[in-house]
Amino acid sequence: MDVLRDYANELDAEVHSTDPGGTITFPLMPVGQTVDMGHDTRGKPLFDPRIFSSREFFRNPYPYYRILRDHYPVYHDKLHNTYYITRYEDVWRCYFDDEGFNTIPKGSSSGVLGNTQLELSGIEHRRRRNLYGQHLVGRSLDLRVPSIQRLARDMIRDWDNQTDTPWVIDEGKKRIVELGMAFANEFPVRVVCEVLGFPSEAQKQFYYWYNSMMSGLGGSLTHKQGLEARQSLEDYVQDLVEERRRKPSFLKDEDGKIIGKDIITKLCETKVDGDYLSTEEITSNIALVVAAGGETTRGAIINMWYLLLQHPDQFAALCANPDETWDRAFHETLRNSSPIGGQPRHNTFDVNMHGMHVPAGSLMQMVDFSANHDDRVFKDPEKFDIFRDDLYSGKLLRSGFMKEGRCSHMAFGVGPHLCPGAWISHQEAVEGSRILQRTLKNIRLCTERMPKDIDGVSLAPIGIVRVPQLWLEYDRE
Amino acid sequence: MNAPVTTGDAPATDDVVIGDNGVAIPRFNHGGTGWRSYEVHQRERVGESTEKINGAQLASAEYAADPYPLLAILRENYPCYRDWINNCYWITRYDDVTSIFTDEANFENRSKLWYYGIEGFGRDLREELPVLWAWSKAMDAFAETDTQRLIEGFRKGVTDLARDFAAQLPILLLGRMFEVPDTELAPFAIRYRRAQRGVLWHPTAQETGKGALLELLQYFEPKLRQVGNSDTSVLAAIAGLGGTAADVVTTLLEADHETLHGALGNLWMNLLSQPGALHVVKSDRLAMKIAYLEAMRHSPPVITSERFARHEVERFGKLIPEGGLLRVSALAANRDPRIFNDSDQFIADRRDICHREARGHYRADGLPQGIAFGMGRPTRHPAVPEDRPRSLYALTRDTAVTASWTLAQKLPGIALEPGFVPTMRCLRIGEVFTCWQLPVAY
Repeated sequence: MDVLRDYANELDAEVHSTDPGGTITFPLMPVGQTVDMGHDTRGKPLFDPRIFSSREFFRNPYPYYRILRDHYPVYHDKLHNTYYITRYEDVWRCYFDDEGFNTIPKGSSSGVLGNTQLELSGIEHRRRRNLYGQHLVGRSLDLRVPSIQRLARDMIRDWDNQTDTPWVIDEGKKRIVELGMAFANEFPVRVVCEVLGFPSEAQKQFYYWYNSMMSGLGGSLTHKQGLEARQSLEDYVQDLVEERRRKPSFLKDEDGKIIGKDIITKLCETKVDGDYLSTEEITSNIALVVAAGGETTRGAIINMWYLLLQHPDQFAALCANPDETWDRAFHETLRNSSPIGGQPRHNTFDVNMHGMHVPAGSLMQMVDFSANHDDRVFKDPEKFDIFRDDLYSGKLLRSGFMKEGRCSHMAFGVGPHLCPGAWISHQEAVEGSRILQRTLKNIRLCTERMPKDIDGVSLAPIGIVRVPQLWLEYDRE
Repeated sequence: MNAPVTTGDAPATDDVVIGDNGVAIPRFNHGGTGWRSYEVHQRERVGESTEKINGAQLASAEYAADPYPLLAILRENYPCYRDWINNCYWITRYDDVTSIFTDEANFENRSKLWYYGIEGFGRDLREELPVLWAWSKAMDAFAETDTQRLIEGFRKGVTDLARDFAAQLPILLLGRMFEVPDTELAPFAIRYRRAQRGVLWHPTAQETGKGALLELLQYFEPKLRQVGNSDTSVLAAIAGLGGTAADVVTTLLEADHETLHGALGNLWMNLLSQPGALHVVKSDRLAMKIAYLEAMRHSPPVITSERFARHEVERFGKLIPEGGLLRVSALAANRDPRIFNDSDQFIADRRDICHREARGHYRADGLPQGIAFGMGRPTRHPAVPEDRPRSLYALTRDTAVTASWTLAQKLPGIALEPGFVPTMRCLRIGEVFTCWQLPVAY
């Protein structure tokens, strides 16, 4: 009809648009630059939520988070029914508000991990968290450091003696090793296994449980495999728990001296409201320790070495003063390239933030990645600098986010849900790396084997979580 | 520091306590916070894994192009599917869908103004009787004549029914109701459609939608001061209620035109694609109505409706948290083989479907199967007292039937362009699911 010709033409244009209306493939941009997603009439960049599931975002997330921080501090992603909180100050405020933003969505961990304290808040959360968290800090942790060091030395010696494996290549005077397969993937799991009190013969099986459960979280395609692993773990733990209930097991130092009971034994002896913990509750706690203690430390070790070896001046300074500098390297790594992106929360009440009304019960994603790169807090946040003076790099803060005028990174969260495994993760990464650095001579990146970026020449960025492979070479003589 | 976070009952403070060790702790957490007790629900078991589908598929181009296979996987395997990617629950079986639609105590729908983030912008006056009367009189008065106008505008012998009929009739009718002259109809239609599309997730659509809302506001401000007195003018009815231009725009926005657009497109695609279907409806107006209902069952233009849990509620074996989003799929439910025989087949004279609006229930008395609720929930006033017009649901149905009957009578030899295979799709996830191209010869 003539009077509606312009309308019909606009419809035609949309019908013949190349945008399929669902997930699309975004072009890969140079690191630090974004795809042009359009602008509003005042020049403000628009944000397409489909970018979150794109390859481009996974390799180059930080410039997109900058758009959110600067223009949409509370971003309502209507496609995924999620609100994103991206500024440092907002994230810590929400983390500390245990009443207003109390837990992760119920069920998000229970699919595989079981009932854990992640889904609880307030006193219930604190009580359950402390059941095992107390064994991972302070004096309890100090007692376990020698065994962490021993495990690291054993693993390094094992692969240093290996030849002809896909991840250890002997070239005479030098060796090439993929650090993930040779060390970082398994080291944290072995530590957790030992701390929990699993027999050494179960450690390989433990690695399978860990991998399967991690990949089966959140309704993924390997969800069934995750549930099967969880069931297998539960079957195994059931016998172990019954045995520990009858016969406690102890951790010993290198001289064979008893330094305390293992965590499973302690959990078996624990009472809540007059009742002993059930086997399922113990299994869920174990599953959570396994999941939390593995991926974060694995990512931290790999990312830390990748970043350090790309900054040889900083690595040289570290080698000159390793006792004081590894802690700095660890914290700056977790600020710059944390293996954990953030934590989801449900808001208990209606919330108004930055002019955005968020109804109660909404999913609010606290983006630690973005908070750690907030230039309102950290100068030149994309730069890796272990000597930066605006990052708190001392002993991990138990509850605060700031000390002596410097902010901590958000990689472990802050507030009541601060990761209870943060301290042991720190010890594992730092002690393991310290031993690596002392043991391996002239360690450096094997750049020809490393994954490359889109230009085919530059090293691939870490992006979300961690670099998939880390090939190193070192001298044998 | 500023205090960007304020919560309904939680203390809003920007005070920070610096402890003896120099650690900063927000004052409102100092000494502990309040707490809330949860029922911790059971974990999932191996048999409850959901590996046959992934949430990412439900936001994919594949889903926009053809949602039926994916929704069938959900309906037959995971009737209440917890989608972690899109943060929602998918409800896909007929009985479950109807139970949610009728459960207003536990589930709410949210206005389009909420999606825009401008709640309070204006009032939706569609339920006001003067507005509803004007609406019904306009639909009844102009459905046939405006269809004839469209037919007269077709190119001789050929046309695209999707574009030149299904997409345009709702606009012509809205123009009548809101006193938009022909000369201003195209810009009105463009703004109106942009405003509708801005409700959803696409950033460009959101931006142009906001602009279109403002333009519509400016357009109706002067018009509201010089409304006519026709009993088919919704604009005049709103003015009579003391409504503002924002009320007009809000009423328009909440009404939408795309369900009628999609219903007409999908009905005619089915009629023209199924051998013999057109023949069934040509001779009997009642048969056209039954075919329309069947089209709404077989190919409803709305894939899912969104409902939010008013409070924590356990349904379908899941603990749905307060604020939890349910994507309730009429499209999947209408293909539920537990309810309809040969549910994937379009049968113009289908017998196992309710042929009249149920009296407050989804299963009409004496009829074996439920109605097709492709157009949303029927009226809560099914008996239609004399002082009350039919519901918008019924008006849309009757308008579509009248227009389609008129078209079938005026163009008796209508047939699909040879070789053309029509399809339905969404232009974007969440938008109307319809046939966008339907070239015919007559």
